[in-house]
Order: sequence, then structure tokens, then C-alpha cells
Amino acid sequence: MTGKDLKVGIGDMKFARGEGQIITYALGSCIGITMYDPAIRLGGLLHIMLPSRTDPKDPKIFKYADSGLQEMIRKMSAFGMLKSRTIVKIAGGAKMFEIRGNSDFGNIGQRNAAMVKKLLMEERMRIAAEDTGGSYARTMLINIANGDVIIRTAGKPEKHL
Amino acid sequence: MRIKSYEEMNLQELDVMKEISSIGTSHAATSLSKLLQKEIRITIPEVSVLGYEEAVDRIGEIEELVAATLVQMSNDVDGLILFIFKMDMANVVLEKLIGKSYTSFEEMDDMDYSALEEVGNIIICSYVNAFAQLVGVDIDLSVPSSTVNMLGGILTVPIAEYGYETDKLMYINAEFIADGVRLSDGLLMLPDIESLNRILEKLGVSS
Repeated sequence: MTGKDLKVGIGDMKFARGEGQIITYALGSCIGITMYDPAIRLGGLLHIMLPSRTDPKDPKIFKYADSGLQEMIRKMSAFGMLKSRTIVKIAGGAKMFEIRGNSDFGNIGQRNAAMVKKLLMEERMRIAAEDTGGSYARTMLINIANGDVIIRTAGKPEKHL
Repeated sequence: MRIKSYEEMNLQELDVMKEISSIGTSHAATSLSKLLQKEIRITIPEVSVLGYEEAVDRIGEIEELVAATLVQMSNDVDGLILFIFKMDMANVVLEKLIGKSYTSFEEMDDMDYSALEEVGNIIICSYVNAFAQLVGVDIDLSVPSSTVNMLGGILTVPIAEYGYETDKLMYINAEFIADGVRLSDGLLMLPDIESLNRILEKLGVSS
């Protein structure tokens, strides 16, 4: 799992140790969550799409914030991650379209962000930095060697979270 | 038998959707021809049921900037309809309407965006009107909403909206042809599953 660039699709999670980078493209209303334990240089990136898994038989664990975060923490902890040392950053949760007369439409991004924050608080994991909301898509990348998180948006310079 | 997701549609059902879409898109091409005062032809559409990543690959690159117009359907059919302009299609429209052309969406101003939104809306409305008449349903349309953004981010909107029902999109790909050049564009019609069943029943093909 070292020295490689990993790509995370929608509703997926990957993690790596030591070096390389993990990237997820074009987060719209979805949320990207990075976790990084600097002591062992273990980093992961989760890309969730919806707040909660309502059907317990649904095998797509990483599609939902609740089941996805739980599984991410479980897996990374098995590789030595300590929650107390871990740096968490989140990005995404945009509202891509605004429909006049229907303000509820497209609020999923906001609901995703609220759910992720609530769950992380319950896990007692502090969010070190975030770039959420707005009306534009974001690409999120974590550098495993140093935990640096980069956000790429159309028409704006890269941003370090 | 009622279907529970797009991917359960059988070949006959997909064929009927294709037939109807073909009439819808030719109406759209006619409206566009009138508006641009230019001959616009259209290829026979393919209707495919695709996952998110397949849909992105089919239309373009995940981080590619595109313009999109979105309209919400209600009444007999609930759902979303999305029209995606890529650069070449946007230029054909803007050259004719405003007399400008660009190399990237980032150079455009609000005037250009609103022209694209209007054209997207006209294409969607003529498509949906023809579709509704043929199927025999009433479909109300919301005012259009649009954005210029990464293709991947735009396609997550319908995927998230129906995320609890399905992981698939129904992609209608009919290419507009202007001056002999095929333009890249994409129309996504996304009735919710209940509405899709209603459409198939109305058409008498529900298996």
C-alpha cells in the first residue's frame, strides 16, 4: 500500500501508510473525510454520499456517513490509528443547484455535513479543518507522507486545509 | 410486475423509452433550430441505464467544467431532468445568440450563463412536452436552475437525490449536429421509480 496514488470513488474509502497520496474527485453534495495519524503516518479518505444507512442489509457501507465513518475508524484502528492523535478534515457538502420556490431541493449537502459533524463529535474526534457548503464541486487529496490535505476547485487556486 | 430500479427495465421497456426519447429529442432539435436560426439535426438517441462512474466516463472527464441546466418535474411524473452543455455546444449557442465564443467556461460572464440556461430550458421543455403528450401524462416543470461546475459534482446531484432508491441514472444520449459537426451534450431524464412505473404502465409495456 505504499508509494502509490489511490483513487477513491463515490461511496468508497481507502487508506495507506508511509507515503503516496489518496484522492477523490468532484465532491458535490457528497462529503470527503480524511483521517491522519501523524505518529504512524497512517492516512485515509472516505467519500460518503448520504447521511444514514436506513437498510441494514445494504452492502454499500461507505455510501453512508454513519456506517462509513464507523467502518473507517474500525479498519484504521486495526492498523494502529489512535483516535486521540488523529487529525480529521472534511470537505464537500455543496448545494449545486438552487431551485426557486423549492428551497428544500438539494439540501442533502447540508444534511450530510451536519451528520458527519455530529457523528465525529460522538466519536470524540475533533475536526481540525473544513471546507464545506457553497455551490461548487471540490476535489480532495491527502498526502500520506505528511498528512497535508489539498482542495482543488474550478477557477480558484489550490487550497491547503 | 412493478420494477424497483432503473436497471430492472427489460429490453422492450428500454426500446420504448428510446422510441419516445427520439421523438422528444427531435422536438428539442426543432426548437433549437428555430431559436438559433440554424439547421440543427439530431442523432437517434441511445437510452442507457448507467452507474455514476459510467455516466461520468460516457459524458466526459470527472473534473471537466461543463454548464448544466436542471429542471424539476412534478404532477404525474416526479423527477429531475438535466441538460449538460460541453464547450463545443455552448459555443454554437453563444456565437449565434450573443456573437461570442470562448475557449473555457471560466471566461464567460453572467449574460452568457443566462443565455445557456435559457437554451437548456428550451431544450428540456420541448423534450418533456413531446414526451408527456406521447405517454399521455401531465408533467409540470419548475423554473430552470443552472451551474457551471465539475461534471462529476453535477452528476452527484441526481445520484444523491435518488440515492435511497437507486445507484443508477437514465442517460439519453442524442447528439445535436450543427453544420455537419456532432456536438457533445447530454440529457439525463430521471423520473423517480414510482413515476417510471406509471410511464411504463401507461405505455402498456410494464411486464
